[in-house]
Amino acid sequence: MANEALRLADVDAFYGDSHVLHGVSFICGEGRLVGLLGRNGAGKTTSINVVMGLLRPRRGSVAVYGTPVAGRPPEAIAAQGVALVPQGRRIFRSLTVRENLAVAARKASGDRQKPWTLERVFDTFPRLAERRKQYASTLSGGEQQMLAIGRALMSNPRVLLMDEPSEGLAPQIVAEVMATIRRLKEEGLSILLVEQNAKLAFDVADDIVILNSGRVVVDAPAAALVRDKVDLHQHLGIY
Amino acid sequence: MNLWLLAANSIAFGGLLFLLSAGFALIFGLMRIPNLTHGSLFMLGAYFGVSLISWGVGFWLAALAGGVGVAVLGGLIERLLLRRLPGAELAQVLVTLGLSFMIADACLMQWGGDPISIETPAALRGASRVAGVAFPTYRLGVIVIAVAFAVVLWAMLERTRLGAMIRAGVDDPMMARAVGIRVPLLFTLVFCLGSGLAGFAGVIGGPILSVYPGLDQDMLPLALVVVILGGSGSLVGAFVGSFVVGVLYNFGQALLPELAYVVLFLPMLVVLVVRPAGLFGRSSP
Repeated sequence: MANEALRLADVDAFYGDSHVLHGVSFICGEGRLVGLLGRNGAGKTTSINVVMGLLRPRRGSVAVYGTPVAGRPPEAIAAQGVALVPQGRRIFRSLTVRENLAVAARKASGDRQKPWTLERVFDTFPRLAERRKQYASTLSGGEQQMLAIGRALMSNPRVLLMDEPSEGLAPQIVAEVMATIRRLKEEGLSILLVEQNAKLAFDVADDIVILNSGRVVVDAPAAALVRDKVDLHQHLGIY
Repeated sequence: MNLWLLAANSIAFGGLLFLLSAGFALIFGLMRIPNLTHGSLFMLGAYFGVSLISWGVGFWLAALAGGVGVAVLGGLIERLLLRRLPGAELAQVLVTLGLSFMIADACLMQWGGDPISIETPAALRGASRVAGVAFPTYRLGVIVIAVAFAVVLWAMLERTRLGAMIRAGVDDPMMARAVGIRVPLLFTLVFCLGSGLAGFAGVIGGPILSVYPGLDQDMLPLALVVVILGGSGSLVGAFVGSFVVGVLYNFGQALLPELAYVVLFLPMLVVLVVRPAGLFGRSSP
């Protein structure tokens, strides 16, 4: 099972009394990119929050490379090599760009070829290097997204969770973000990508998982869905 | 009344208030815990200092040890009690208020009801002339200590990775944890630091205020006013607020003794109504 980066099995989760996830199970294979799709309120962000430990599942298990993490605090799950690019970016506004990256730094586990360092993030996102001393709150939306991605990479994750990284960005910036995601995938990072925009997800994803009202309704390789011309509109609405 | 001397005394008192309030501001700002034991921690530090000095420990070492002792106690309060009440502000207020009464009782039992003065350390006795005016040397020393602590605390918070982590925890605690920052550990650390500063301030304040039952309830409102004026979580705010309150308190007592508390609390009410986040506070929680 070493090739399973992430496994959710039979996860039930609640916000207060509202039952949001109903027995959600899916796998993200090592080095694969899973596109997690669904309408608003389908449970995509909730799934991400459960994996990161921001929401404790009431039932079911979450495993990172075989290690059970459900119910553990977020900092412990981060130590297992999970990193989050959250919805709305949630950069630390009163920290400088450089500090945003520095506080997330963690040594690469094992003998990773090219570990992520401050220098490497700045090489990857030159705009951030130019603004390293600025407060993060002064960045544009696109720059903040780069910073959120860079911050996640600073922990040298094995599994990257990305929650709508294209949200609210200009098309040119979206293209830049998607190119970055492709590069990370080529480096072998396992990625769970939540997207509202199904087309973007299909462009980069190996596998597609679709949630509807908190249940998994589709779990298949993206290529197979495209080849068989599966009609997904009933689950996704019209884009 | 010599106005210049009054002003200088106000500044010295402001320095002492900063040592007291910086911890309160950090704890309130980072952890959103209105720690009503803060005045008790100040008093307890002072009593620790009294005992240590009576056993022959030097003043400065007693001040440090008093601070460390109170820091440990603060850490225990956070770990054993407040940790179990996350976000429950009313419960936190009641628990810390109850604790402050318990500490007051324990101090009364241990150290009795008479005021105890702490002798001014020998090196700082007497007066110094500043700009041609005689001024108690020890009070000058308190100002220097307060400024030194302000600079060190500011540098720790704004210039180190640890400080950046604390600020990240203030900005967005859950996101900070998600990037791997051990926010609960940082909270304990900040609570220890804030408590320790209060305990240290208690000993440092001893030669000026002496130590007596009720000192806790005299100091707590001052710390509250400082933090509300300056803005919670803001060291700069606590610094400026301390000197503003030092001036208001001393001038109020000297010039309008009947209305000293009005002079002190009226500005607080105005700031609360007009600028609830405080003069230097963040506008968003």
